[in-house]
Amino acid sequence: MVKRAPAAPAVKVDRASFNYNNIKAVDKLSLEVPSGISFGLLGPNGAGKTTLIRLLVGLLKPKSGGIRILGETPSRKTAHLIGYMPQLHSLYTELSVMQNVDFFARVYRLSDKQQRARRVEEVIRLVDLWPRRKDSVLKLSGGMRQRVSLACAIVHNPPLLFLDEPTVGLDPELRFTFWEHFANLTKQGTTLIVSSHTMDDAAHCDRLAFMRSGKLIAQGTPTELRKATGKAEANLEDAFLYFIHREDKK
Amino acid sequence: MIPNQALTIAARVMQQLIRDRRTMVLLIAVPLVIASIVGVSIPEKQMLDYIAPAILAVLILFFGFLLTGISFLRERSQGTLERLMASPVSKPDIVGGYLLGFLLFAVLQTMILFFYLIYVLDISFYGDLWQIIVFEIIIGILAVCLGIFISVFARNEFQMVQFIPLIILPQIFLCGLLWPVEQMPDYLQWIAKFLPLTYGVDGIRALMLQGQNLLDIGKEIGVLAGYAAGLMVLASLTLRRGAAS
Repeated sequence: MVKRAPAAPAVKVDRASFNYNNIKAVDKLSLEVPSGISFGLLGPNGAGKTTLIRLLVGLLKPKSGGIRILGETPSRKTAHLIGYMPQLHSLYTELSVMQNVDFFARVYRLSDKQQRARRVEEVIRLVDLWPRRKDSVLKLSGGMRQRVSLACAIVHNPPLLFLDEPTVGLDPELRFTFWEHFANLTKQGTTLIVSSHTMDDAAHCDRLAFMRSGKLIAQGTPTELRKATGKAEANLEDAFLYFIHREDKK
Repeated sequence: MIPNQALTIAARVMQQLIRDRRTMVLLIAVPLVIASIVGVSIPEKQMLDYIAPAILAVLILFFGFLLTGISFLRERSQGTLERLMASPVSKPDIVGGYLLGFLLFAVLQTMILFFYLIYVLDISFYGDLWQIIVFEIIIGILAVCLGIFISVFARNEFQMVQFIPLIILPQIFLCGLLWPVEQMPDYLQWIAKFLPLTYGVDGIRALMLQGQNLLDIGKEIGVLAGYAAGLMVLASLTLRRGAAS
């Protein structure tokens, strides 16, 4: 439960590659994410964002290159240091909100019963679902399920959190609430790696990486990326298109 | 000692089953309905004594396979397995948790069916209940591992159900449930030798009808345990593949 403040970067990827049969999902990608920030992986569907996150959480092993999270190679030993919210809701729909969150608290070895009960209540309240805690997930709306999924990912208070398209399908108000949660988490020292294909999400991140066809085509702060276009009024969408066109010309 | 993480998963598996009340009722009622149909359709006592005990072995394999297969398929398709694989839980914890969770229901189902066979259908019985439960647990372990392993090859619940005629039905026809294996053509006898349910049915008949004990049916237990161990390894090996696909 105690958060570390690691000296090593939260994530370091060194020329990592991964392919599904002949498709290069991640192609000699290098990346470094400092601790305590929100880092956005931006790109269209099929850009390799989910594969990169799966590599970072240790579900996949790179075919070449190296990956370090909090200074160590991703493995079961580092699993307790990370929280992972997959793209699917990934919940036990027959179980209640509380049973789902409590199960993942146990999985992440919050063994003290009282401490666990307090933490489970805290995160369910945090995602504003305490009045629905006894309802089965099956009865919840898509947005509520997303919130339960987030609660399951943060219940063990991990220093590094991977969120794979966490705001997909959410209405603007709920999306705003999610980003408030994320901002609070980074304030507490958590490093967030968030994948998205919407530029609305990108604007909330401290740093961004644009991905396309398994490659990183640009990275920097939102302001840096906008400035790179050379147009004063450019938004992040303009910046993304600018880097895609620049890549095409190479 | 059983690892805490396996117990956590077992508790969750049980919670899921208990919350699904219709499944719970069906788990208890269906074996009794099948046993009743067998009971009324076979008026001859000697024939009923021969067939009814085998139902214990057949149903434990059938339900263990089906319930685990579909539960595990959901675990894969809902993405919860991916979440578990990214957590500190190990593969043996997951397989072990499923085993523990389902075996408790298997024991419950066995006991209810056993008492129904003895006291309602009046089946002859010359053995010990605890030995029958131990033997049923071995078949149950095999069924759970088979379900986990086969779920890798199914993409949805419809496909999973299609594996029943492929994996379970041939075993039911060839295991000696309805007629003795020795009376089958040579090539079928040869096939039956490779099917685990054949040993399950032989073992349960020996325990119930011939008054033998677990030591007497060492060969049957050995073969079933061998299959269970092999399937357990296969089930564990295929976990990551499913999670990452």
